Amino acid sequence: MAAAPLYILLCSGEHEKIQMAAMLASVAAVSDRPVRVFVSMNAILAFEKGKSPAERYHGGEFSRLIMENKVPDAIELFGQGKMLGDLTMHACSMVMDLKKWEMDHLVDDLFDGMLGLTKFLADAETGELLTL
Amino acid sequence: MQTIDARGAFCPGPLMELIAALKLSVIGDQIEILSSDKGSAADVPEWVAKVGHKMVGVTDKGDHWSIIVEKAK
Repeated sequence: MAAAPLYILLCSGEHEKIQMAAMLASVAAVSDRPVRVFVSMNAILAFEKGKSPAERYHGGEFSRLIMENKVPDAIELFGQGKMLGDLTMHACSMVMDLKKWEMDHLVDDLFDGMLGLTKFLADAETGELLTL
Repeated sequence: MQTIDARGAFCPGPLMELIAALKLSVIGDQIEILSSDKGSAADVPEWVAKVGHKMVGVTDKGDHWSIIVEKAK
């Protein structure tokens, strides 16, 4: 039986939560589980194109340890999940409107477009929803 | 047999490196991954069983593990 899709609502700008979302999304995707990620609120700021890791990630003790050690970068993990599994990512249309951003403001080759919360929630009824 | 040295990489780095290598291999190929990540000795066999490849062996080398996987599909 096929695994139920994993829906991840990522809204925190905290590095540790973004890292956890990237780990969950990539490992689930490469384990033959469809993954759908919806990025909203402060989380979208971490996906702005052209930022260095120090500009992109803000957090506490584990953010510092992640940056100091050989831990896979969250953006790269999402990319690997897309490349090796069934993972799609959408930017929340509301926060994109508030920031007056278009898709080309976000890192390349990661997002599949913008989506509204209503559509995401309706889709998420078919699987398991995690909020970070 | 191809060997990937992922020692020093943290979760899920070793697993992702293994999967990338498996994608480029053919059925019957064996890949050894060396990992110092504490979770790999359990995580890699779990993943292999879930997706349908074949575990050849997990060996504790003291400061790291040698995990050999055969591509089965």
